[in-house]
Amino acid sequence: MKHYDCKYYLSTDVFKGICKRDKKFINADDDACENYMNAQKCKYCSNFTLTSDELGTCMNKYEAYPEMNAVTCNDFKN
Amino acid sequence: MENNHKSSEVLPDNYNYYGTRPQGGFQDREVKKPPSIRAEKARTMYLETKSSASVEFPYWYTRRWEELEGEIPIIRRAEALKSGFAHLTPAVLPGELLAMRKANYLRGSYPMPWLSEAFFLSKEDDLYKEAQKAGKASADEATTMGQGGGNVTESSGNVISIAGKFGLRKEEMPILIKTAKRWLNRSVDDVGHKYEQLVPGYDTKEEIMRAVICMFDSGYTLPQGREVINYYYPLQYGIEGIKKICRENQANVAGFPEMDRLYFYKGVHTMLEGLQTWILNYSKEAHLMASLENDQVQKSEYLEIADRLERLSESRPDTFHDALQLVWIFHVAVLNEDAISGLSPGRLGQVLYPYWKQDMNKGILTREKTIELLECMRVKFTEIDCFASMGVVGGVLSGNTFNNLCIGGLDKEGNSAANELEMLILESAISCDTPQPTLSLLFDEKLPEEFLLKGVECTKIGTGYPAWVNNRVAMEFLLNNFRKEGMQSEEARAWAIGGCLETSPGSWMPLELNGETYFIPGGSAPATSVGVHFISLPKVLEAVLFDGLDKRTGRRVYPPHGVELDTYEKIWTIFKHYFSLTVEVLTLTNNIQHDIWGKVSPSLINSMLKPDCLATGKDISHKGSRYNRTFNVEICGGVNLANSLSSLKKNVFDEKTMTLDVLRTAIESNFGYLSALDTGAYSLTDQVKSADYKAWLRIHKLCLDAPKYGNDDKYADDIFREWQLWFSKMCENYKSLYDEPLYSCQISVSTHAPMGAVTLATPDGRLCGTTFADGSVSAYPGSDKNGPYALFNSATCYNHALSQNSQLNMKIHPSVVMGREGSRKFLEMIKAYLRKGAFHAQFNIVDSRMLRDAQKNPADYRGLMVRVAGFTQYWVELGKQIQDEVIARTEYEQLG
Repeated sequence: MKHYDCKYYLSTDVFKGICKRDKKFINADDDACENYMNAQKCKYCSNFTLTSDELGTCMNKYEAYPEMNAVTCNDFKN
Repeated sequence: MENNHKSSEVLPDNYNYYGTRPQGGFQDREVKKPPSIRAEKARTMYLETKSSASVEFPYWYTRRWEELEGEIPIIRRAEALKSGFAHLTPAVLPGELLAMRKANYLRGSYPMPWLSEAFFLSKEDDLYKEAQKAGKASADEATTMGQGGGNVTESSGNVISIAGKFGLRKEEMPILIKTAKRWLNRSVDDVGHKYEQLVPGYDTKEEIMRAVICMFDSGYTLPQGREVINYYYPLQYGIEGIKKICRENQANVAGFPEMDRLYFYKGVHTMLEGLQTWILNYSKEAHLMASLENDQVQKSEYLEIADRLERLSESRPDTFHDALQLVWIFHVAVLNEDAISGLSPGRLGQVLYPYWKQDMNKGILTREKTIELLECMRVKFTEIDCFASMGVVGGVLSGNTFNNLCIGGLDKEGNSAANELEMLILESAISCDTPQPTLSLLFDEKLPEEFLLKGVECTKIGTGYPAWVNNRVAMEFLLNNFRKEGMQSEEARAWAIGGCLETSPGSWMPLELNGETYFIPGGSAPATSVGVHFISLPKVLEAVLFDGLDKRTGRRVYPPHGVELDTYEKIWTIFKHYFSLTVEVLTLTNNIQHDIWGKVSPSLINSMLKPDCLATGKDISHKGSRYNRTFNVEICGGVNLANSLSSLKKNVFDEKTMTLDVLRTAIESNFGYLSALDTGAYSLTDQVKSADYKAWLRIHKLCLDAPKYGNDDKYADDIFREWQLWFSKMCENYKSLYDEPLYSCQISVSTHAPMGAVTLATPDGRLCGTTFADGSVSAYPGSDKNGPYALFNSATCYNHALSQNSQLNMKIHPSVVMGREGSRKFLEMIKAYLRKGAFHAQFNIVDSRMLRDAQKNPADYRGLMVRVAGFTQYWVELGKQIQDEVIARTEYEQLG
């Protein structure tokens, strides 16, 4: 698991960000710590179906991608 | 081949200096004040952050757009914007006093494929190849992007570089390509391209673009910007108040003629719902951050942000802090509507003064807290990035976004408008020196001396702001151009600079606060600089000399003129013919692009803000703004044109020291030097000789020695004046989309670099591939030999009010303006120039040797900024072409 996938990861740019818990700067692609929790992303949503490595569908209707933040999505379901 | 650099036989050792060349170690700038700890932390974080693009806004925008197939375009657009805003991931950072940003990243931005979808695809992609065929990508190839700072210049790891500047997470690329391709044949670019081909002479337009005689189309690249935003409606009514206005107007117009008004009001209402969700998402995020925070001070700041945003999602602001936050929200909202550069906050210190004065009187705000807030605002504005192609973002903008904040000028009654808050805006710009917002001081004789001296103190920190702009000249220009639409002197006073240096009309709107009414200024026109964007004058002259060919590529651009150029007058006549042909075809094609923009992707957010769109129910592309004569013709390289004509006239026709054929061959031989594109050095002084340079030495020296603009030399200045008078007049022969005549605009921004890069040597002695003179009345680097006042006389040899602007850059050694005495001397020099009727001057107070050192050791200069042409930028984020040009500019070692 990487910081990039963690609920507490606050990205500042495409390379790095801040941990919302301890406010330390972390690299997006480094391994996460023991406090890791899944971020609200499409890939963790039950409405999402993976169709290839990098793409999928949302509610079997829309094209979507697994890494998209879904924190603002009303249809997100765990 | 010889590899030694410039020949002293041609250029003297002190070529780039006026006065005694400085010796010893280089000198730093005089004024140094630290920002607040909070602002310093924010700025440090910014400096360590890379430009980053994301896909979530275009993804949700496109998804919603497609759901509404068949819906009225403006409603579709409103729903798409609503969805985009509602789905932006919020991010609230520790220490922030002002929340919200364009995208989830600190320097976040995103592609807008509904405008143009091809340029960010891979070079192997068919769409890219198609764009290439139409000549659209030529400017990209002539551009060098800054290699340092926040630019992501190369792909690495999980990050892909786009346009040499923006990083995109690799996993987002497949969906970006899929999203972009959905806009194939539907984007403003594609639809516009389909119809612009119906313009007679379209083939010539393609060749003009391919030759980089014109830098870019404006309709789909940067359709908005170069204008002043208007914050009045959100401040006066709040978001719910504006929605109420929409609902009331909807009821009044439903079913009546001019039904587009109904859809406009409905669209604005829908879009505002999206903004409300966006704001509330940030409020929720601030609550989340507070819940994870142990530090009680930080926790309470998060909660204050959450409460403030919740209030502002509905209501008008009551305090200075709330008003500043709301202003910022709407500034970002407009920037998220379109690819925009030059959305200026305008006279923000006068807009916010009523709130500030109220809070100061109540004792709930201090000067120190104000400065801290203003410093944070500076960092926020600096975070703004504009996602565009390399040619646009690098070749034109140098990565800058031109959020110009104006201070000074006159109020509605004609008295000085400078106030105490503007003094603090200057103070915060000194303590927290950042590229954004840049400042322009609207100079008027009525402004207090203390205010002007504060402006000088700020200019002396060496970051190039405030620029000094002449209020009276701007008013004259505005009254000349907007009187037909009802502008009177009183409203002309509400103007401000939009973008880097575009004079933009404004209006006074009645803000009510605590039972008092304050007339606040704000922009009242759409983009004031769209239309024909940057014609390279030296490149047109090159075509004249070579019978309509682009000699670099060998392609035919213009029909052959077939005229034997045996008199100076014939050259001038053919030049005017080719230039007119260029303006004509570009005006027509750009009119079509902008028409398509208004149909496919109309502005809702900016339209809502601009008087009188809400009152009339018309968006800005349907002349809803109070003032609409806003299309222009922008040029680049005017001084090199004048110097070249001067050399031709003197050498070929008056004194007959060479024939035109010999001069042509000398130009093709680059006067015996290698091309700057081969050497990678772009200023005249750093060029490398070829083996046969001696064969051209005499000719080159004669060209360099011909009378030059900038020396109060009547010979050259008369030529410059003739060009200026003809240019400003000829623009009126062409009509914009809105059936209004065009006006002339003279700013180079960064175009003098890529346009110079594709231009052969010129008859003034400039070498192939090197940059042109910057701005419009700046002397060519090293050619102004008679001091500043001679330069001022040359620059004011024509009436500056004939044009939307003029632009003068000067580089002054820090020692010259040192101390209080130096400040007064400096101010007197600025006043002397503006009193001659000049429109604008801006200054780099810097030792050129420091810039050379910064070029060698960029890591030591991450925070160094310089003034380019209408904007200030971090040195390390400038391309080498512009860096070389700034270094080469004449350095003034004395002011007299």
